[in-house]
Amino acid sequence: MEIVPREEWDNYPDIEIKLNVNGKDYKVKVKPYERLLDVLRYKLGLTGPKEGCGRGECGACSVIMDGKVVPSCLVLAVRADGSKILTVEGLAPEGKIHAIQKALLDTFAVQCGYCFPGFEMAIKALLDRTLDPTDEEIKEALSGNICRCGSYKRFMKAVKLAAKYIKEGKVYFDEEEVRR
Amino acid sequence: MIPIQRFDVYRPISLNDALEVLRREGSGIRPIAGGTDVLVLMRDGKLGKVGKLLDLWPIRKELSYIKIEDGYVRVGALTTIDELCSSDLVSDRRYAGLMDACRGFGAPFLKNVATVGGNIGTSHPLSDFTVAFLTLDAEVKLVSGSGERYVPLKNFFTGFRTNVRRPDELIAEVRFREAPENSSTAFMKFDRRWAHAMGYILCGGFIEFEGSLIKDVRVAFDSVSNPYPERAFKTEEFLRGKEFSEELIREAYTRVLPTEMRRISDYRASAEYRLDLSKILMKRVLLKIRERVGGE
Repeated sequence: MEIVPREEWDNYPDIEIKLNVNGKDYKVKVKPYERLLDVLRYKLGLTGPKEGCGRGECGACSVIMDGKVVPSCLVLAVRADGSKILTVEGLAPEGKIHAIQKALLDTFAVQCGYCFPGFEMAIKALLDRTLDPTDEEIKEALSGNICRCGSYKRFMKAVKLAAKYIKEGKVYFDEEEVRR
Repeated sequence: MIPIQRFDVYRPISLNDALEVLRREGSGIRPIAGGTDVLVLMRDGKLGKVGKLLDLWPIRKELSYIKIEDGYVRVGALTTIDELCSSDLVSDRRYAGLMDACRGFGAPFLKNVATVGGNIGTSHPLSDFTVAFLTLDAEVKLVSGSGERYVPLKNFFTGFRTNVRRPDELIAEVRFREAPENSSTAFMKFDRRWAHAMGYILCGGFIEFEGSLIKDVRVAFDSVSNPYPERAFKTEEFLRGKEFSEELIREAYTRVLPTEMRRISDYRASAEYRLDLSKILMKRVLLKIRERVGGE
């Protein structure tokens, strides 16, 4: 591992970016080489998106940026200037959980839990497009996300269940109730 | 936090601004589009020390478009794969090969950031859209501070991940002539799975039919005898002007294709297997095109 001397670090300018994350506006100073993933996790404290591979191959870092699912490990922070970002923490307001999250729990799709923030973003993007996805559409939408525990079949069921909840108008569930 | 590398980023305010920076700094600054290739290469340490990146995303408003004018289809280099795949262009029967390429491209989230220009610029043999565009006989538009030039895609590559782009140039557009009526394209990629699949073999085809006669044909692979996407010219020559039939295709891939195709063996597959796959994919691609144009 190369030890980078301190002078080299500090030569890079701080760039101030403005972004809207989960409905709140933030002004953050970032280095040019920082990734959106780093800003979300270490500067904004949102540890939902995870660095599964850092190469855009696993989907664990997925967030929704300006309406599209993007791999935050491959998006430079400076590129996020002026954008609107949604992470899992923003799926539902404080004290509530989203239908997608409820469905993942109900179908026991969550095993170790590492991959599902990424899956939730992919599912949210899919259900925003259509509430009646075919099996093929579900497979295609989730094709970028990898689950080490192998919960794939359960994710298929969870998507359909989440769609059912949303169609019934039950978009948010009370967190307290679910915990009980 | 372990950054992939420390570097500076220049965000141009316009295409001219970007070209000016490239003119000044040449190979001292590296253009980055979607970043799905450059950032991964940097993470693997394969690009050495990259001092500065030229972020092309801010000039998307100038370089992201799909236009059809004067008989040419023009796709801006910064059009994302997702934008290309949701456009009307790919639902045109003649360009169905582009739709095929869209389907197998990779993860949905990658399609939102990867760009057409980037896919060609990486100049890697396993580039879906390069193979698909080769079948449409596309040209690449290179722009620089001193002007612009069009290079046919079939002459664009010079080696593994190398091409004729000068350090002060940017890929601005891919364009191809509108395909004739009785024609179609197809693209197939062979891999053990269909998601996140780089592919072992990529094959694209184009046929213009006159009844059941092959009036014109183009066949492209991820590699024929060089480590970059190429067309199989001898095979095309053999097929051109003949009656379409399965026997004809079989003759083409048994007798003609092996004379021009030199495959390599590596940890992924042996040369024999790759050659075999190429033959089969070529057959399937050409049959698919027949099906698409069929009954005219």
